[in-house]
Formats: sequence, structure tokens, C-alpha cells
Amino acid sequence: MGKKGDQYEVFVEMGRDTNGEMDAKIKKKKKVKKKEMLEGMKKEMEIDDHELTIEELEMKYSTSTTKGMSSTLAAQVLERDGANELKPPKGTPEYVKFARQLAGGLQCLMWVAAVICFIAFGIQFAQEDLTSYDNLYLAITLIAVVVVTGCFGYYQEFKSTNIIASFKNLVPQKATVFRDGQKSQINANQLVVGDLVEIKGGDRVPADVRIITAQGCKVDNSSLTGESEPQSKGPECTHENPLETRNIAFFSTTCLEGIATGIIINTGDRTIIGRIASLASGVGNEKTPIAIEIEHFVDIIAGLAIFFGATFFVVAMVIGYQFLKAMIFFMAIVVAYVPEGLLATVTVCLSLTAKRLAKKNCVVKNLEAVETLGSTSVICSDKTGTLTQNRMTVSHLWFDNHIHSADTTEDQSGQSFDQSSETWRALGRVAGLCNRAVFKPGQEEIPIPKREVIGDASETALLKFTELTIGNVIDYRGRFKKICEVPFNSTNKFQLSIHELEDPLDLRYLLVMKGAPERILERCSTIMIKGQELPLDEQWKEAFQTAYMDLGSLGERVLGFCHIFMNEKEYPRGYNFDTDEMNFPTSGLCFAGLISMIDPPRATVPDAVMKCRTAGIRVIMVTGDHPITAKAIAANVGIISEGSETVEDIATRLRIPVEQVNRGDARACVINGGQLKDMTSDELDDALRAHPEMVFARTSPQQKLIIVESCQRLGSIVAVTGDGVNDSPALKKADIGIAMGIAGSDAAKNAADMILLDDNFASIVTGVEQGRLIFDNLKKSIAYTLTKNIPELTPYLIYITVSVPLPLGCITILFIELATDIFPSVSLAYEKAESDIMHLKPRNPKRDRLVNEALAVYSYFQIGAIQSFAGFTDYFTAMAQEGWLPLLCVGLRSQWENPHNQEVQDSYGQEWTYSQRLYQEYTCYTVFFVSIEICQISDVLIRKTRRLSVFQQGFFRNKVLVTAIVFQLLLGNFLCYCPGMPNIFNFMPIRVQWWFVPVPFGILIFVYDEIRKLGVRRHPGSWWDKELYY
Amino acid sequence: MARGSNENEGGWKKFIWDSEKKAFLGRTGSSWFKIFLFYLIFYGCLAGIFIGTIQALLLTISSYRPTYQDRVAPPGLTHTPKTIKTEISFTLNSEGSYKAFIESIDNFLKQYDDDKQTDKMKFEDCKDQPSGYIERGQYDNSAGEKKACTFNRRWLGNCSGLDDPSYGYSSGKPCFIVKLNRILGYKPEPPKNNETIPLEAQDRVQPNVIPIHCAAKREEEVSKIGQINYYGMGGLGGFPLQYYPYYGKLLQPQYLQPLVAIQFTNLTLDIDLRIECKAYGENINYSDKDRFQGRFDVKFQLKSR
Repeated sequence: MGKKGDQYEVFVEMGRDTNGEMDAKIKKKKKVKKKEMLEGMKKEMEIDDHELTIEELEMKYSTSTTKGMSSTLAAQVLERDGANELKPPKGTPEYVKFARQLAGGLQCLMWVAAVICFIAFGIQFAQEDLTSYDNLYLAITLIAVVVVTGCFGYYQEFKSTNIIASFKNLVPQKATVFRDGQKSQINANQLVVGDLVEIKGGDRVPADVRIITAQGCKVDNSSLTGESEPQSKGPECTHENPLETRNIAFFSTTCLEGIATGIIINTGDRTIIGRIASLASGVGNEKTPIAIEIEHFVDIIAGLAIFFGATFFVVAMVIGYQFLKAMIFFMAIVVAYVPEGLLATVTVCLSLTAKRLAKKNCVVKNLEAVETLGSTSVICSDKTGTLTQNRMTVSHLWFDNHIHSADTTEDQSGQSFDQSSETWRALGRVAGLCNRAVFKPGQEEIPIPKREVIGDASETALLKFTELTIGNVIDYRGRFKKICEVPFNSTNKFQLSIHELEDPLDLRYLLVMKGAPERILERCSTIMIKGQELPLDEQWKEAFQTAYMDLGSLGERVLGFCHIFMNEKEYPRGYNFDTDEMNFPTSGLCFAGLISMIDPPRATVPDAVMKCRTAGIRVIMVTGDHPITAKAIAANVGIISEGSETVEDIATRLRIPVEQVNRGDARACVINGGQLKDMTSDELDDALRAHPEMVFARTSPQQKLIIVESCQRLGSIVAVTGDGVNDSPALKKADIGIAMGIAGSDAAKNAADMILLDDNFASIVTGVEQGRLIFDNLKKSIAYTLTKNIPELTPYLIYITVSVPLPLGCITILFIELATDIFPSVSLAYEKAESDIMHLKPRNPKRDRLVNEALAVYSYFQIGAIQSFAGFTDYFTAMAQEGWLPLLCVGLRSQWENPHNQEVQDSYGQEWTYSQRLYQEYTCYTVFFVSIEICQISDVLIRKTRRLSVFQQGFFRNKVLVTAIVFQLLLGNFLCYCPGMPNIFNFMPIRVQWWFVPVPFGILIFVYDEIRKLGVRRHPGSWWDKELYY
Repeated sequence: MARGSNENEGGWKKFIWDSEKKAFLGRTGSSWFKIFLFYLIFYGCLAGIFIGTIQALLLTISSYRPTYQDRVAPPGLTHTPKTIKTEISFTLNSEGSYKAFIESIDNFLKQYDDDKQTDKMKFEDCKDQPSGYIERGQYDNSAGEKKACTFNRRWLGNCSGLDDPSYGYSSGKPCFIVKLNRILGYKPEPPKNNETIPLEAQDRVQPNVIPIHCAAKREEEVSKIGQINYYGMGGLGGFPLQYYPYYGKLLQPQYLQPLVAIQFTNLTLDIDLRIECKAYGENINYSDKDRFQGRFDVKFQLKSR
């Protein structure tokens, strides 16, 4: 644990420090991990390429900044360095994975049992005392059971690994590269160090690249550093630290706009991101709660099995059995007591749910994560893409002195605003014309909001908005021929373009402008209201300010729009507009209106958040966005509920300084990354405790780890969503890491336990529901599976102590465990929830165990006991009706089992040969088997519910369960009556009435359990409830 | 697990005896009492139900006739002396090597002594020639105990032990006593035709007799077995029918099964001889799985030294 803790520490620090020191920290982490690696690592980390001149670079990598490398050299380098791709984290070798499946706690017990069987068989064989091959069969069956369940588990694991692998190969990335002076497109994984590549807006940077030339190149480094602001890149070296300097672009970041060429300086795992990814894979995975539960439970079972076995071994030795015989007893007790089918049942139940989840866009990598999701008490969710649509969308417009709401739903199903006003036409025209964004071609079939656009986020939003409201924008722009334009830049903070008018007779030019609202307003002298140009007086300015503030406080990005029709005399056709000189009016314009944009929440999210709330799950938003936007979205989706206030809100409302507000009054809290950096972990814990509604804004992905750890310190089971590479430590640290299928990086997907294919928060809630259901149903399945261990065990105990002929053989037990009872126990996974599970609190992992005392005691000592009595009743019936009255059976064992005694007398004086007795014994096995089957049918019916009456739940609602019962009966009949069974599997065709002997006991089980449930329902909290509710 | 691992330490002691709550294994005295009482009642009821059902079951079962006999019939054919691994091996002139066999036969034949069959209330003389089944009424105690036929030990001739107390073992001519296992109410039927019966046994086929025939199991040993003598009622190697049916332990506690003695008079010395004896009858079957059903085989080894 100590070492693991150190590693986490490093990551925490990494998060807190500026990214500039990351390389140093990486070195430090390596030191903790492997000292001997230190030297090599240091050398690797030293990047000085950004400080070299272009000539030096060309020398170093024997390349050319104009022609690129030669193909032959590139091939050699590729040979040397390997492909340019992140190697998946070194997994455990396949054979180790398989071996692990064969070496669990129960499996080891079964191996021991098998070995004992082999030894017994060997000794019998050597002594030529061979009466049957049962021991050999049993050994083989046991081994088969272990191997088959092992294969099954391995297959499950293999399948889920494959799902992940399939993500990687989805889209082979292409890169534009110059080789031998030729520009060509090749697969990005063929790139080598020294290659000259070209990066355009929209591309993913294919490797670590030293920029040679750049035009307006901006890169989104968020996947690397978590900074959401795009950073511009250029050829000049601005910082000695390679991570800070402008002339290196990093692998896996995206180029947002502009164009650049550069020389590759690192590829594949040697890139910065590659190193971070490989470090993240070193962070140990937390064990899932269900794995802990099952381990805990298997340990107990294995312990009890050995305890029982050993006790009866000693008892048998004391009574005077041979050593070998006593060993066989030991083995038989182990076989009887160990629930062989349980692991298979659990795996199947979990994979059923996983399949169900996959249909709902949650791919579960680790089966056990399904249940973890159900016990989740805190979800730390990203904002962008998870809670929101990840699409800037026009949400509000201000014109005619009125705020209009636009339709922000994903499918345009919402209400639109009144478009009849003349002002809207003017505003729409400006929005449509003063816009450089265009749709990518060939998307006519796709609904407008989903189309891909070339251009930045706000222009995209405006383009889609105008396309939706005005119609075909490209056509529209064609009608207003563009004469010239001034693109947006950070000094002007506006963008303008000049167009001819649609009407060929109208020779005026139209100037349209958009930009930061206050800058636009400065340039206006009139404002358009209801189609009329009114002078822009103080009253209108105030109205503008109010609207601007209102929209801003919603966390929206606001743009102002204005236009002017230029006088045809001053600016006749052919006038030479000079964008540098600005020889045209840029003030005295007519203000048209404001348009505000936001990345709107997904339609399903508010409901989902509400569901979480009723389910007792806290949703914490962790985002890199601006606090105001974050808070607005949080309020919008219900993470900050209506009426909740932050400390700041209260301060404003009461008009008192922030310091005087009682922190306890504030339900909500918005903490930004800067504040978080200065908080100690205790302060963070306090904040998380004090405010039920939390939003973290401006956080780096590394800070997520701190938040996760804090939540876990408070005892929560934490689900975390993430997509960036730097999220991977947090994803691993979380009890359940959820990666985004669309936006997520491979590293995040590797680290996660679950992948959301649609990146939608609502899918998580579906997952939670399924997780809770499967926990309940697993409980039922396990209770069902455990029950029959008692009627399997008691025959042996009675056999050893009272010396009756053996009522139930080992092979028959294996048939119950692995054939007839598997399907019914799996069918319980299809059971509907008893109550609205989404209205309960998440389970407390320390108190609400999967297998608790009440469950085990009730299954073992009550239902199991009734089943044992049923079995023995049927056994004594079969014996008595064939001539062996119950009292004669007691103490009969040694005569009965003597293979050389062919004339053992029954109660009527009839003489039985050994084989006749053996077949009678098989009849008993079968009868006992049938009794357990009949009781198990009753058992599966009562396990449908834990609290409700089965009548309330509906007998036949679970079709799978009904099918399972029918299947169980058919299989039981097949085993009994198929010819040849007696000599292969010790099943005998039994008389029909022996099927009905256990039926009253089955009814007893059902009635008793109904009484139990009635008591539990009627008297909650009573002694009855405490002792008998599991 | 990174969290909560330290909290369980020291918890065990507290679990066994919590002095604060005065709880043993997590339960206080009154809690233990309640749960004990609960299980007492629970198991009391269960045991009551169990005993009740077993009693009800026993009511449906007759003490005089088993409900079903499908597992025990057709009967097994068994022999005395009992053998381990169906092997009879002894050395000529070495009394120690066959003493156990003689004792075994002695013990078995003791119940056939004449003085045990004198009670006229229990036994009737069924003549000394085979005749048909003797029905003795219902299988219940309405007529009290049933009589059984006497069986004269002398019918076993040289193997009766009356003349040769070593049953031929001392002279290298070992005897074998063969009986058909008792099955209540079972009436063996003599073979209707002779086709299935080996030629050598044809002369023993008579009405009212279930013939027995022994032969070498392997072809090549046929000549090495030599003469086989059969002794039984009327000098025939077979089971006479008047001893059937058997009325069970309660009604015929003194019942004596008819016996057949088989003597091998000229066994080849010093080799293993596998001999199979079979009883022949319409309702006597043989099974691959049960080597004692209607037949048995035995391995002889007579050592000269």
C-alpha cells in the first residue's frame, strides 16, 4: 500500500504544479518506481529540439525542411523505432490470465478434491480392489468443471478486452507528409522521426512536432494539459521548457485552425503523451466492490468447506474408518459444500446485464463494474459532451428590446421564437453573411445540427442557426456577393464583411459586422427596433446593458451584430475597399441585436440528474470551463437545484460581504481550479461535506484525482467520467471509471471500467439502475444457489455418523450444481425490481453486504434444512418401498458396501447381491436429486422476492424463470429416464410417486417464506425483520 | 482495497466477546436465547413433520410383503464357501490352506442339521422328490406363521459333510454349496425348452426343478476341469420347486432354501481354472453388470505343493 500511495502522491503533485514542471515530476515518479531506469529515462526526457535552429534540426534528423526525408531513410528509421502508435499498456500474458482463472479459492479446493479422487482411484487400482470407476470419473468431472468455468471466465475477459481493441482500429488516422519532395497522405502510424508533416485545422497532431512554419495555427492542448484555451503555435522558440514553448506541437492534441508544417521529433511511446499514458497504466486498479464481496464470501465458503471436511475427516478416523476412506469423505464434503455453479452464475448474471447495458450504449470492460455502478454514491461528471451536447448552439437573441429564446434541443423539437419582425430579418442577415464557416460537403442527408462544419465554435453555431431559420445559407450568401472581409482578431474584437445586395437594382453595399457586444455598441449610433432605425440614446443603451448582463449571467457567450447600408454615391460599384486602411465606415452603424450561444445541456440530462438525486447519488460537476458557464449549466440540469444558493449568491442577496455569510446556509458551491490549488485536503473534505451541490470549474484533469480521492475519503463509491489522457489516473483511482466513447482518448478508455458510447450522462443513470438491480438479483441468485448445499451436505453427515447407505453421490451433486440449477439461478437475473430501486439510497458497502449473515443463515439453516428433510423423507420412502425399512438402514453401511457379500438381507429376509444394492443406492441418489430439484423449484419461486409476496410480484411475469423451471424439470426427467444413465452417471429411472414425495415440503417452503415475508412487511424493524430479512 | 482496511483489525476479539454490550459472537444473551428458542421451535416442527411423514409412510407399507421387488428380482445365485475376489485357492494336503473354507461350509450347513428341523409346527416334510410350488395362503398373519419344507442335509451326498468333514478339500475334490437368493413370493419357473441348456446338463432337466450347471468359462479349460458331481434333492443338481414361494422373515423365520452341492472331482492341479455356474429358468436372468444374478463364476487353483 505504501508504495502505491507514493505513486498517487506524485500524480497529485503533478496536478497541482504547473505543467511546465511535469517532466521533472515524471522523472521523480520513475525514481520511485525503478531506480535503475532513471538514467535512461533522463536521457529520453531531454528535449532540446525546440532550441535548435532549423539547420541544426535538418542535420540532426538528416531531413530537409522543404523536401522532407527520403523514403529509404524513413523506412530505415521506421525499422529502428517501430510504428508511431501508443502501445497498449503491457497486459498480463494470456496464459497467466488463464491460469488465474484456474487458481481461485474455490478452484483450488476443487483441485485438491480431484487429486484426492485420483489418489483414491490409484490406491484402489493398485490394490486390485476396483469396484467402480466412480473416483476416476469424479476426478475428471471436477477438473472439467474447473477448466470449463475457467474457460468461460477467460472468454468473458477476452471478449471485453476485444471490445476495447476494436475502438482503436476504428479510424486509421492519416497524416500529410513530405517525402522525397512529394506531398502524400500516409497512415499516421508509418511516420518516423525526421518526417516533414503538414497539419491543418481539424487534424490530430500525428506525433511530437517541431513547428517550422505556421499560419494562424492554434492547438487544443486539453488532452495533454487540461487547458481548454487553444494555444497558438509558431516557429519561434519562446520558452526553454519544451512543454511551454510555442514551437512544439504534441501528439494527440488537435489543431483547431490554421496550418503548420513541422518536423517530427518523437514518435509513438516516446512522445510526451505516450510517456504519460505508460505512467498512468502503472497506477494500480482498485478492486471492485463486488469482487471484494465475492472474494470475502468465497473465502468463508472455502473455509467452512475445509472446516467441515476436516472435522468429519477426524470424526471418520476416530470412528475407525480407513485413512483412504476418510480422505474420500473429506473430498466428498468439499464437493458437496462448495457451490461449484456459483461463479458461473455470477459471471453469467453480470454478463447478461453487461449485454443489456451495451444496448443502452454503456460498454462494460470489467464485468464486475456493472455492480459497482449500482453502489455508486457520487458521480463526478465532466460537463462538455457528457452533460451538454458539445455543440455551441444559439440559445437566446435580443432584438426589439426583448430576449427571445431559440430552440436548443438536439432534435429541434422545441419552441422557436417569433420571426416576423423586420429587425430579425436584419439580424439574421448579418448573422448569415458575417460568417466564414461552411458545411463540409456531402452532408445533405444529415440533420442540420449534426452536420460537420469548418469553422470555429461560435461561427458554427451561427451557421447552423441561420441554416435552420433562414434556409440554405450558402445559397443566401451567394445572392449577397461578398466584396471583402476583415476576419476576427483579438485587437479589433470584431469581424466584418461587405456585400453587394441581393436586388441587382439596388447598388448600395451592405456592411455587416459582429463582435464583442460592447465594442459593437461603441460603433453604433442607431438601433433597429421593429424595423425602424431609432437613435441610440441612453435609454436604449441601458436596455442593451441589462440584456447583455442577463445573457452573460446565464453563462452564455454573447455576440453583438450591426450593419450599415453604404451610400451608393460615396461608395459606388467597383469602389476599392481596402481592409488595411479601413476606407469605409466602421462607426455610426445600426445596431441589430445580440445573439448568445451556449453549449446546451442534453435533453435527457435534467431528468437523469433528478433520478440520481432521488436515488441518493450526488452529482458533482468537474469542468475546465468558466465558473459562470459551469454554474449556469449546473443550474440548468439540476446539479444545482432550484432555490439553492452559493455563498456568493447569498452575499449578493443580503448585500453583505462574502465573509459574513454562514457557509452552512449555502447548499451549492462553485470552486474553481485556482481555489482548489490552495486548499488542503481537509478543507476540500469539509467543503464536500458542507455543500451537497458542488461544481468544480476551471479544473485541470489532474485535479479530478484530488476530488475523487476526497470523495473516497468521505466513504463514497465514486464514478468518474473522463476523456483526456490526463484523466486516466483519476479514472483508475475511481471505483468506476467511465470513459467517453466518442471524445475519449485511448488512454482514458484503457484506464476506464466502462465506456459510454454516446458520451451521454443519462446512460450512466441507466447503468446505475441496472447495477442496483443486478445487486438485488445476485443476492437472490446466491441465496438460491447456497440453499441446496445443505441438502447436499447432510446426506454425507448422516452417512458417516449413522452409517446409512449413501443417500446422494458426488456425481449427482455435480449434476445439481452444474446442470439443473444453473439456468434457474441465472433466470433470477431477469427478475424485475421489487420496489423502485431508484428511490433508495445507494447501498453502504460496509453494511449492506451481498451475502450477509441473515441470507446465509436463512438459506442454510431454514430452507436448506427443510430441503434436507424432504430429501431424507424421499430417500427413506424409496428404501422402505424396496424392502429396507428405516430402522434397518441405520448401521447398515459396512454390509451394504461390501462388494463380496452377495446375500445381504433386507427387512423381509430377501437376499440382495452387491450390484442389486448398488442400483438401489443409485435409486436413492436419484430420489434425493429429485427431492432437491422439487424443493429448488419452490426455492426459485420464493427467491423472486425478498420482501414482497410472490403474488404481488407476479408468478409468471418473469418468463425466463418459468422457462428455467420447465427446463429444469425436463432435464431432471431426461437424467432419470434416459437409457444408459444408470451405468454412466448413476441415475436410475425412478417411480413416479417418488417425484411427489417432496412436493409437500416444497409447499412448506413456499408457505413458510410467505409467512416470513408477511412478517417482514407487517413489522419492519421487529425481531422477525432483523433476523429473517436478508 | 485502499480504504477501510485498518478498521477490521482487532475487530475479531470484539466480535467474540464484546464486553460493552455483553455480546458473544455478536449476540447478547437474550438475543442468543431468542434465536435458540426460534430454532428449537423451528427444528421441533420440522422433526415433527419428518417423523409424521415417515410414520405415515410406514403405515402404507406392509410388514409381510415389500411394496416393490424390481431391484431384488430376479435372484442372485450365491455359493458357500464365501470367497474374496471370487477365488478359491488352496494346497493339497495342507490343512491350513483350506480350513477357512471348511469352517465356512460347516457354519452354513449347521442350520440344515436334522435336529433343527424337528419342530412339526414349523416344518413339514415335502417328500424327497421334486414337486410343484406349495402355496401357503395370503402374505399376512391372518393364518399365523407358515410352515417351511425340511431339507435333508444328506441329500448333499459327498458334500454333506456327514461322511467327509473336509467336504472333499483334503482329497483335492472341493465341494461347493449353491443356493438361489431368497426373494419373497418368487416362484422360479423351470426352463420350458432345452435349447438354452448345455448338453451335459440336459439330464438334470426335469419338471419342478431349476437345474444348475457349471462349466469352464474359457474353451481351452473345458478338458482340465474334469468330472463335476451335482448333489441335491432326489440326487438332482437343481432346486426343487416345492420350497417356493418364500413367505418372508416374519411368516417363515425358519425357512430353509433348497441347496445344491457341486463337487469337482478331478481338477487339474496348479493352474487357474475359471468356472461359471448358472441356474436355468424362465424367470432367471443374467446381467452383464451383476455377475451374481442367476450365475456366478469362481476361480479355482489347486496347488500340489
